[in-house]
Formats: sequence, structure tokens, C-alpha cells
Amino acid sequence: MPQPKRKAAWIRLVEQNAGLVLSAVLLVIAIVLYCAIYYAAQGRLPGGFELTTTVNNTMPLVFAGAAQAIVVITGGIDLSVGGVIDLTNALAALYLGDSPLSMVLCTIGVIAVGGACGLLNGLLVAYGRLQPILVTLATLAIFQGLAIRVLPAPGGSVPEAYTAILANFEAPYSLVFIVVLLVVWALVRRTSIGVGIYAIGNDDLAAKSSGVKNLRSRVTAYVLSGMLAAVAGLFLVANATSGDPTTGNGYTLRSIVAVVLGGISLFGGRGTPISAVIGAFVSTMIVNILFFAQIDPLYQSFFEGVFLVVAVLLTAIISRLMRRRAVA
Amino acid sequence: MSFLLDRRKFLLGAAGAGLAAGGLISFPFGLAQAAETKPITDRKLKIALSNSFIGNKWRLTMENLFKSALQMEPYKSEVEGSWFNSGNDVSKQSQQIANLISQGVDAILVDAASPTGLNGILHQASQRGILVVSFDNTVTEPTGLKIGMDEFNFGVLWAEFVAKKINGKGNVIMVTGVAGTYDDDERNKGGDSVWAKYPDIKVVARYTGMWDSAVTQTNTAAILPTLPKIDGIWSGSGTDGVLKAFVEAGRPLPPTAGTGENGFRKFMTKDGYMGQKVDGLSFDDAPFESVIALELARAVLRGTYPRGNVVLPAPAVTNDTIEVGVNVFPDQPDSLNCLFTDSGKNALVQFCIDAALNGTPCEGKLEVRLPKA
Repeated sequence: MPQPKRKAAWIRLVEQNAGLVLSAVLLVIAIVLYCAIYYAAQGRLPGGFELTTTVNNTMPLVFAGAAQAIVVITGGIDLSVGGVIDLTNALAALYLGDSPLSMVLCTIGVIAVGGACGLLNGLLVAYGRLQPILVTLATLAIFQGLAIRVLPAPGGSVPEAYTAILANFEAPYSLVFIVVLLVVWALVRRTSIGVGIYAIGNDDLAAKSSGVKNLRSRVTAYVLSGMLAAVAGLFLVANATSGDPTTGNGYTLRSIVAVVLGGISLFGGRGTPISAVIGAFVSTMIVNILFFAQIDPLYQSFFEGVFLVVAVLLTAIISRLMRRRAVA
Repeated sequence: MSFLLDRRKFLLGAAGAGLAAGGLISFPFGLAQAAETKPITDRKLKIALSNSFIGNKWRLTMENLFKSALQMEPYKSEVEGSWFNSGNDVSKQSQQIANLISQGVDAILVDAASPTGLNGILHQASQRGILVVSFDNTVTEPTGLKIGMDEFNFGVLWAEFVAKKINGKGNVIMVTGVAGTYDDDERNKGGDSVWAKYPDIKVVARYTGMWDSAVTQTNTAAILPTLPKIDGIWSGSGTDGVLKAFVEAGRPLPPTAGTGENGFRKFMTKDGYMGQKVDGLSFDDAPFESVIALELARAVLRGTYPRGNVVLPAPAVTNDTIEVGVNVFPDQPDSLNCLFTDSGKNALVQFCIDAALNGTPCEGKLEVRLPKA
């Protein structure tokens, strides 16, 4: 009997990372389309300013998307992402101060607050055995309420140096932070907790019987999510140069959009936060494309919805085709 | 060359591909010089409106008036206009403003999703010599210009009207707006500052109308049976609802100062409404602020008006100045906000009803009178 032919290594890799590949392809298409439409409208290609503002405006969603992705991979969902961003945005606007030391301490403190928010979610979901959607819906309201309490009206200020580091107006230096995110995630992914996060998303019981520490993995996922959402809040406040306790609200839904555009399955166990990062950029590109395509502003959200459905459909169809090939 | 990539290399490769795709966008960076504010006299001006939320009538009217103005002279031949909505999504509005900067517009008019959230990008716009004018939901960014109405003064004017009509003596009710908002706070404070000067005026009831005529009517109807004779009404919220509740309770309508609903103004006309007439003072925040912003931008860019913030006078209408078809519209619903147009000989700007409802141009030339600088 002939041996079944082994597939080339790269085919298997593409198949294993279908979501990532698809989102990357989607991003390339979006960028090419954007450049084409921009060129048609402006008679030149986008330059440094366009790249910089696109990156700066996307950074909060990059981290919010990654935060959402980690929880989604466990098979859960985190509706409190927006609330954590509100709260951390407000805290940062008040306490960043002017000295390097206060900035560092405030940054660490804010990320710790995000982690604590995530810990609350994680404990309620893992030990309280409550539905993630209910827990995080409740904590969303709690965090939003705290944010308004911390900063009742928009205000506060961000030192210029802080903005220069996180949301530099001259060049897209903040891309560096995406590399940091990739490296950190690559490390986490290799720990037993990292493995556990995927395992519980695939099959909770099977994971448990194979020795995965289910509860600990789940709580850690929410804590990481809270910390990443806090970082999103920091980027938001840095780019705005001032605080607003409500501007994070939209990030709950937008982070889910980034996850979906990243080709991450909402059923859990599959995908990587990195593709949510790509999804975040796709989502900004859609705004850019619609802007330069001179669509009637009243129909913009309509077309955004259409783009989203088309993107999700494409992702679903292609990954289904790939799976069929893999089975055949 | 081996194809035995491991997962890590694959991920790095994917990231690299992403960055490379990003790199297609041409470098280098360079900050445009902050342009000198020399008047632009030799070409059309590019002026864009960046609006946030569009889901209520005020904002729709505001945008319709902007569109209408762009189709009328002098704007038709002097301005190349565009408009964008972002919803209450600050990052999206920020990105749209970034795109406007890329387009090289001369001025950006902003009705902001957040008073602080756009400061970063608006600062960059100013640095590139783009004139920023914010109105309605203004921004705290210091280099841009602001257009606004003095909400505290609204409260004062309403209260003074009532106090004068009742000779500084009697029972008044205060119908307030949405608690906790800046506008509501200021209007109430303004009203209270006047009552403090008249010891014989008693505020016998003070309740919210949530800036909604249906709510004011319900709340007024509920509280009226407990109240003595009312000599004056101060209403920062859905004034037509207050008056309807009075009519239904069979009470006479006392002098009333309040907001700008068509229903309220119908009561102020010569023939009255629902069988009653009221002696009134009516005004509110005006959706035509977008057009004032357009004119301010045009005038500043052309060098015919000094750079500076503008506080608009209250576009008030009284029984002496009310005029059917000009500032009250009997064939339109009560809920119509009449503040799409000003009236009288010192009117800031006057629009026809079609401009407000459909964004179509009115006949003739559009004349916008900015307050004396």
C-alpha cells in the first residue's frame, strides 16, 4: 500500500493559521484599495502623515482587539473592554503628571488597575461559573460608572513627552509596541497557561483530563485581557492628549469587530491575538477607503456594515474550503 | 532552501509581510510648515464639516443647513464643501479629520464626539495651517476657534422676561432639561441668578422635562393639580408640552419664556393655538450654527474678519416679532425646531423650511451676519 503523500510543510502551516493568513490577505487588499482610491482622489500616494495618523488612531483598537481575542480564544467574550478603557483613560488623564517617574508609575498603576478589572471578571467567570457575557456586561457598567466617578467631565492632560512616546505625531514609532505585543504573546503562548488558554477554548473537559489547570488559565486570560485593555486606554489618552471617561465605550463592539476581521472563531480555541491586530488595521482602512471613495456620509455606516459582512463571509468561505481540502 | 518553517518563523514572516505592506506607503515623513495666515483671495476655499453623531433632528437639521448653504451664493462659488459623520466614535472622527488634513482643506468645522478626544489631531491640523472652528459640541484644543451660545444667559433672559411680565411678583414654575449636562446646569443657574433678585417671585415647582415635549407634558400634567395659580413659566425643555398640559387642565396660559418648538410658537401667534394664546419669549440653541461656522471660516480665511471666538446672541422671538412662515410654521408639526432660522432685521441668518428639512437651497443669496468683532 502506498504511503499517503505528506503535504508540503508550508501548506500545513497555512492551514493551521488560516485565520491569520486570511486577515493578512484582507489587510493587503484593503491597503492596496486604499492606495488606489487615495491616488485617484489626491493624485499622489499616501505618505508619512497618513501612515502616522492611521497607526496612531488604530493603536487603541490594536490593543483592545488583542484583549478581546485572548478571551475569545478561551471560548468567552469580554464586553467590559470598553469600560476598562474608559476607566484607565480617565485615570491616566488625571495622574500621569509631568515627571518621568510619575509617568512610569502611573503607567504601571493603570495597567495594574486593568489587570485587577480582568481579575474580577476572571474570578466571577471561572470560580463563580457564570456566563462570560453576563459577567462582563455587568462589570462594563461598573467600570464605566467608576470612570465617570474618577473623571466626571472630559479633561485632564497628558504630558507632551508621553504623547511623543505612545502616539508620536511625526512618525509611526508606535508600531514598535506591536512588535512588543507579538514578542510577549509568543512567550505567553509557550507557557503552560498559554497552552491552557487554547485547550479550554477547544474542549474544557478534555483539557482538564489532560492536566490543564483550567481555572488558572481562564483567570489569567481575563487578567491579560484587562491589562491589554488598559494599554489601549493609555494609547487613546496619549493620542487625544487629554482624557474623556466615555470615549472608550465604543471599543467593546469595535474590539469584537477586530477579532472577527482577524478571522478568529468566536467558538474559541482557534486564532491568535495577532490577527486581531491585523483586523484592527483593516477596520481603520475601511474608514479611510469610504472617506476617499466619497460615499455619501449618511450611508457610511451602511457600507461599513456591508464591508464587514463581505469580509466575514469571505473568511468563512475560504476557511471552509481549506478545511475541506485538508480532509480530502 | 528548506521549507521547514516552524511556527515562530511563520508568525514573524506574517508580521513582516504586514509591515512590508505598510511600507508600500511612501516615506519620508515631513511636517508641513505651519502656514502663515495670509488671506486666501485668489481661489475657492476648501471647507469641510466633521460631525460626530447624526441620529437626532437637531444634528440632521444642522447638516441640512450646511448643505443648503453650500448651494447658495456666496458659498456656491467661493467654497468647495464636504461633510462627514463619525457617530460618537472618537477614533473614527480623529481618522476622518486626519484624512481631511491629507486632502489639504483650508478649514475644518467640528461638532465633536468628545470635547477633549480630538485635541491631538486638531492640534496637528492647526500646525499645518488649517483653520479649525468648533461649534455646538466644542473642543478644548486652544488654537482653534469656537462658536457658541451663552447658555447661562439663556436662563437669565428667560427669567428676566417672566419677571418683567409679572412685575416681579408671583408664582413661577421651572421646567429643566437633562440633569448633569452642561447646558442644563448653566441655564438653571442663569434662571436662579435672576430669581434671587426678586424676593416676591416664588418658584413653586421645579421639575425635569428631559428636553422632550412628551415628557414635559406628562410631568406637567402630573404636578399641576398640586399647584396654586401659576403666574409665569420658565421652560428650558419642551415648552409646547408644558403649555398643552396647561390647556388640558383648563388653566389659563401665563407669560412663558422657553425653547423654540413650533408648537410653542403657534400659541404665540395672533390667532393662538388650541383655543389659547400666550405671551411668550422663544429661542434655543440653533442648528444654523454650522452655517455661522462656515461664514466665520470663510471670512477669517479671506481676511475680512478677525480670528477669534464668537458668542452668538440668543435668536429670540416674541409676540411682537413672530411671523407666520418666517419663524413659525402652522402647517408643520409641533415638534419642528424653529431655530433652523433666525428672524428680524438683525437676523444672524435666514433659511427657508426646505433647507432645514431637505438640505435644498433657498431662493436668492444667503446673508450671514457675524456679530460685530
